[in-house]
Amino acid sequence: MLHIDSVVGDRAEPGLHRRLHHLEHHGAVETVTIASADMARRRLRLTTPKGEELAIALPREQKLFDGAVLLIDDDRAIVVRAEVERWLRLQPASIADAVELGYHAGNLHWRVRFEGECLLVALEGPAEAYFARLDALFAGRSIKSTVVTQDLAA
Amino acid sequence: MLHPSPQTFAGAPKSTAARIGIGGPVGSGKTALIERLIPVLRARNVNLAVVTNDLVTKEDAERLRRSGLIEPERVLAVEAGACPHTVIREDPTLNMAAGDELEASFPGLELIVFESGGDNLASTFSLDLVDWWIFVIDVAGGDDIPRKKGPGVLKSDLLVVNKIDLAPHVGVNLERMLAEASAVRNGRPVIATNARAGDGVEALADAICRAVLFRE
Repeated sequence: MLHIDSVVGDRAEPGLHRRLHHLEHHGAVETVTIASADMARRRLRLTTPKGEELAIALPREQKLFDGAVLLIDDDRAIVVRAEVERWLRLQPASIADAVELGYHAGNLHWRVRFEGECLLVALEGPAEAYFARLDALFAGRSIKSTVVTQDLAA
Repeated sequence: MLHPSPQTFAGAPKSTAARIGIGGPVGSGKTALIERLIPVLRARNVNLAVVTNDLVTKEDAERLRRSGLIEPERVLAVEAGACPHTVIREDPTLNMAAGDELEASFPGLELIVFESGGDNLASTFSLDLVDWWIFVIDVAGGDDIPRKKGPGVLKSDLLVVNKIDLAPHVGVNLERMLAEASAVRNGRPVIATNARAGDGVEALADAICRAVLFRE
């Protein structure tokens, strides 16, 4: 098990970028994909694509992020890729519907973002589970819903 | 996406104690489980401390301090004052400060257990506060609890079904309750315990050691 106790840096930093580019030519950069719901963790266990087990334990003032370099030396590197986050985009047709939807989302402690007249709800599980909680609200109302990725929601 | 600034990485300090949460409804047996866990974890040489959350008292902290299981100064109390969700999720500052205080007082601390003030099925822990968290329900609360799909039941890293010894006395089909719990959690782990007798506590300690202390 490989223990990682801090983030080395951001892959976009020029120095790291150069070294990673060189290692990539030798097929020596492993990317570990982390679910969006796990990106806030300081401690977690992961398995790299080559099967190596990682034990990540970051200081509390550090966080994982897309492009975080966990390990780099002359022979290899390990870099984080954050799983693309999915959002449920809800577009109420009236102010009354919007008020009720906003109350409902808050009451369920959903993580949300705003996009014009739409409410974006972060999907931390199957979309069906979210629709199940919205069934009563959708009845008799006009609320358009679509699932979008992080890039579309940005 | 916002990234930490590069200078954050230079000379980064070593990681600090693992922090786990134990939440669940009032009376589900959270404190009793912690009382059973402490000697099991200490027997495995885990250097630990506890932060309890109560609504307006320090009842759970005093209970642990009097237990003789752990040095009283290793137990801190946070009084939530109102909604107990808030201090473990929306604004866990008080609990984070309590954790920092324990780490400063006990160098080498490996594990801090945050016990949530008793609540309903909706409580969840912020990952800013804890690295991993457990939700405790009990059979006497009703075998329909898993089917209600509360966020605590669905989102916790580990679900504990406690008081399994009471199942025949409260008309609960334990096997079905555990199967339903596993189903609503899409197969994520569920452990059955009887905190009074210590049943399942070793398995609970195994799960903690594996998840955040990286012991096999």
